[in-house]
Amino acid sequence: MASEIETGTKYIPEMSKKEIEELGGSIKASSMKVIEDNIKRMKKAWKNRPEAMNYFDEIANLFGRREKEIREQKAAGKKVIGYSCIFAPIELILAADAIPVRVGSGWYDTAKLGDRIMPVEICPVIRSTVGAKMVSLSPYLELSDAIVMPLTCDGRTKLSEMLSDFKPIWRMNPPRVKDDPHTLDMWKEEIMVIKENIEKLTGNKITRQKLREAIETMQQATKAFRRLQELRKGDPVINGRDAMLVNQTSLWDDIKRWTKKVNELCDELEKRLEQKEYSSYPDTARVMLTGTPMLWPDSWKVPNLIEESSPQGIVVVDEQCSGDRILYDPVGVDEWTMSDMLTAVGERYLMACTCPCFTSEHGNEDRINWIIDRIKEYKVDGVIYYVVRGCILYAMEYARIKRVLDKMNIPVYYLDTEYTREDVGQMKTRVEAFLEMLEARMDI
Amino acid sequence: MISAGIDLGTQRVKVVILKDNKIIGKSQQLSGFEPTKAAEQALQEALKEAKLSREDIEHLTATGAGVNLAPSADSTVSMMGADAKAGAYYFSSARTVIDVGAEDARAVKCDERGAMLDFVVNARCAAGAGTFIEAMARALEVELEDMGSLSLKAERASPINASCVIFAESDVVSLIHKDEPKTEIARAIFDAMAERVASMVLRLGVNQDIVLVGGVGKDDGFVASLKRRIGTEIRIPEDPIYAGAVGAALVAAKRAARRR
Repeated sequence: MASEIETGTKYIPEMSKKEIEELGGSIKASSMKVIEDNIKRMKKAWKNRPEAMNYFDEIANLFGRREKEIREQKAAGKKVIGYSCIFAPIELILAADAIPVRVGSGWYDTAKLGDRIMPVEICPVIRSTVGAKMVSLSPYLELSDAIVMPLTCDGRTKLSEMLSDFKPIWRMNPPRVKDDPHTLDMWKEEIMVIKENIEKLTGNKITRQKLREAIETMQQATKAFRRLQELRKGDPVINGRDAMLVNQTSLWDDIKRWTKKVNELCDELEKRLEQKEYSSYPDTARVMLTGTPMLWPDSWKVPNLIEESSPQGIVVVDEQCSGDRILYDPVGVDEWTMSDMLTAVGERYLMACTCPCFTSEHGNEDRINWIIDRIKEYKVDGVIYYVVRGCILYAMEYARIKRVLDKMNIPVYYLDTEYTREDVGQMKTRVEAFLEMLEARMDI
Repeated sequence: MISAGIDLGTQRVKVVILKDNKIIGKSQQLSGFEPTKAAEQALQEALKEAKLSREDIEHLTATGAGVNLAPSADSTVSMMGADAKAGAYYFSSARTVIDVGAEDARAVKCDERGAMLDFVVNARCAAGAGTFIEAMARALEVELEDMGSLSLKAERASPINASCVIFAESDVVSLIHKDEPKTEIARAIFDAMAERVASMVLRLGVNQDIVLVGGVGKDDGFVASLKRRIGTEIRIPEDPIYAGAVGAALVAAKRAARRR
């Protein structure tokens, strides 16, 4: 009897090989079309799009060059470590010579597959990630030898159980009260467990020297990222969608090569800034995005709408874990001792994070401060607060953010949507009205 | 100066022609399957009333759900932007404009010049819009036009669930089976609809004066329920269905003047 019950404890129902291949094949084909279409639209909007962007277009093909590289490196003995959220300490993965890749899904079509397991009220990022696993769509999820899953929200907590049907899952338990005196110690314990897991899986010891190199590699990436961000502060030399794509590819690209390519792009853009060669008109309404992560490729529907709207808007900055939050914070090390480095890694991933899963005596004030600072630095005209249905934490924090922005006299629009293409018409109406409002304010 | 506004709604196309910001011609047509044709026809009729020809129009601005189907428009404006302009045009004291059309409802906060300051849209659910009344009139087997006067005779409202047209309809059917008077069911329908619209207004904050436009503005039953829910006076222009077209025509006049 006992064994019968045990076999029933999996979440994901069995699917026939034929169904997996058919569904997976058709979703992959439609996804490749979406990727191609997004890039085509970005090229159309940015007439003199620099050649340095081609590299990122290539990496943006989720089933292309990068998949092949990882497959080859894996065959040569390297381990691939997936992660579901940017709380995962990338430096430790790199220090063990493993390949880090983010595995959250931005595919709309696979959300429908997730509906077979959970109700539609559940966050579509979760439903879609499970759906992608059901048909083996994501090369990075498939290639992962283990997945680091920080349990930030309820959706991700249960997602970790669902994915454990297929893969070894390393859960991280982030403390949610930031200003508790034990918070950092608790988190450091979590980091230590992950470190052991990584060492065990890879068979490589994370030495002081190795960790230092990894931290320095990521610091260089942060430097390149910040250089690109600096270029978004003034008149537009890069469109928002393109910058978002550059930032997001860092989640699955080889980070050293990514850093080099971002610097090459910045060389070109800095020249253009001098020559006043803009990607959009300088008086275009400047929009900030905040809220639910906006994952490539299907979620590009939102920046596409904003930057193709009439009147046009341009995304100059975001407060999302799929964008400007990925690399903003460097690991700050005082002494390069092992203990000091691990503390610094822990601090960087926890204390600097503005995720709404946190609270403190003053609520999630780090997020509010981040938003206020960026609005000033990037001369933001209006904020689009993006929430997918079922994303409870972001939906709940809206009321407070809205009050802060009202006080600053910065318009904010709550754009709620789903993992679907069917609401583009309605969203267009709303986005256009918002941009029209921003433009009218600029006229005054 | 002659300007024109065209509002391609989900049910009707409305055209307004302005001369120096005064309405000199207007017309409406059912959108049907060929909204562009309907729009052209409405435009011709409005021109006839104004005793003008197409060439006399200096600038034509289109708005509405079918804005892309507008024939030969010089520019477009969002529905919310048009509402704000029209609200301040009808009543200079307008600070909130509620627009309840056939398929959607929205509330816009505006200033004295008719500039839009904030807005809320209900486009996900038909329970807050005109087609809801139509569906409910069918369930009650009364004429659409009689729904309002019927509801005004009610002393109280029957309880119905109005989170969704489908559920509301089944609630109405079970109330009919329970022999509840039609007057009270009609009142319940308007109350439920007003509840949804009022919640949008409350999200913006109740800024007076409140103006109601859109086709449903003609419905006394809905207006009475909305007043009760919001708890303030509501001002309604003479021809609320033309508000979108008026707003678009005002924007057209501004844009024409800027281009001169």
